[in-house]
Amino acid sequence: MRHDPELPFFFGADGGLFGMYHAPATPPRRAVLMCPPLGQELIRTHRLHRQLAQQLAAQGVAVLRFDYHGTGDSAGYSAEVDWNRCVGDAVTAAGELRSRAGVDRIVAFGARLGGSIALAAADRARFAEVIAWDPVVDGDDYVAALDAMQAALREDADRFNQPRSHADVAEQWLGFDIGDSLRRQITALRVQPASVPTLVLDSMPAGGAPRWEHLVSRRGKVAAIAPPTPWTDLRRLEAAILSHPLIQAVTGRLAEEA
Amino acid sequence: MMREEAFRFGRARHLVGIAGVPDGAWGETGVIVLNAGLVHRIGPFRLHVDLTRQLNAAGYPTLRFDLSTLGDSGASGGGLTRTQQVCADVDDAMKLLSERAGCQNFVLVGLCSGAQNAHTVAASDPRVSGAVFLDGYAYRTLGYKLRHYLPRVLDPARWARFLRHRAGGGGGEAKGAADPVFAVAPAPREEVIADFTGMVGRGMKLYLVYSGGISYCFNHARQFRECFGKVMDHPGITTSYRAETDHTYILSGDRARLVDGIGGWLARNFPPAAGRHA
Repeated sequence: MRHDPELPFFFGADGGLFGMYHAPATPPRRAVLMCPPLGQELIRTHRLHRQLAQQLAAQGVAVLRFDYHGTGDSAGYSAEVDWNRCVGDAVTAAGELRSRAGVDRIVAFGARLGGSIALAAADRARFAEVIAWDPVVDGDDYVAALDAMQAALREDADRFNQPRSHADVAEQWLGFDIGDSLRRQITALRVQPASVPTLVLDSMPAGGAPRWEHLVSRRGKVAAIAPPTPWTDLRRLEAAILSHPLIQAVTGRLAEEA
Repeated sequence: MMREEAFRFGRARHLVGIAGVPDGAWGETGVIVLNAGLVHRIGPFRLHVDLTRQLNAAGYPTLRFDLSTLGDSGASGGGLTRTQQVCADVDDAMKLLSERAGCQNFVLVGLCSGAQNAHTVAASDPRVSGAVFLDGYAYRTLGYKLRHYLPRVLDPARWARFLRHRAGGGGGEAKGAADPVFAVAPAPREEVIADFTGMVGRGMKLYLVYSGGISYCFNHARQFRECFGKVMDHPGITTSYRAETDHTYILSGDRARLVDGIGGWLARNFPPAAGRHA
């Protein structure tokens, strides 16, 4: 049987979840599940997730990247994205990773809402640790920021010849349809600390950093990485987010574990 | 419900793509969607996912995939030029859809650099029977310049701003107007016209859809003919200018209209076997 170091496949109860399994050259003893962010942040960080997965695989770590229902290559429409289903999909993906890698110990990595999902899924998915990069901890603030960017987008002269109508931009966040339930779910989001060690990687611009301490008060820490990541800069909405310091921080943390 | 399948494929198993093959679609025209810029195969704001799934529902086999070194695809290590690599990758993609769905003829869809790549392959590969170029090659014509600059020259408010700026010691508007302009790499206009002429001469159907997002080089439906001449009158070519939209169709309504437009063009030019998906 052919051995592909990076294998794309579909999995889950209805075979609708897309995954990319990065197999190390030798039988793994550790594994990382990558929980992607949602919306445009998923697209912007795709390359970075791939780079990180490849580097972890080179360290002997099995990695699974995947897309939640309604995102990326997975089944479903963007408007169907649902917070609880995302958390459930992360749990399903953790099971898939255990099965493929043959290891029980899984560290979850997630950026932005992906970090929040990893924290929310930690118990059910039996993560050994969560590494969260600029996780969203206060849904109200996040929704307000997305709404403000969507409002600015309507009149963005760099994008449109004429301002668009309010109806044209309604019920969307930066290129993606959103359902009422997702808006309500994220608005109500108050991420609680996980019962496992948590490393928060902080690259929020100065003055914009939420207080992470409550996430890591039991076990874990906050580590700053520079430069700041332009998550909310509308002018760079379609620019990929790449960060060698982030990759170094995550691979370094996994190397400590070895 | 139709299932998509994920593939690693290609001469060096270096390519990654998602194929959608509807039941009973064996031998239909296959639709292959190329990367838009550096965005991985799902396309800007998931455009390629919406497009391929809607086309699957209409009866077309589809493949959205990452060209070498883009998205999840690796390098083939063959020492090819980028143009040769693109042609080889699309050849691999056509072979995959041929194996999975019996496709003998293909329509390529590309946005921006994807249009350029689709153009390159379409100009030389006889298996390509149609192409959708989204914001493909464009050139600033005299008509473009008149439409762009004349309103500005005649706008008193703009003059007032300009004079205030000059009085303040600033420079004037210093936008260059070099021809031609393309976000990735230009090709000589005569070459592009010759390519279009050759494509329709061998029976290909073309759909050119240009957006208001490239207003730095294209600003009116008339500009298709200004750019490419009388070949644009050929019945095998359909054009559409969507002034209100941006380059990457960020609004879901614009995206839905684009997908519907491509679906309608395909249905008219490459109808699936009659009645099967009515």
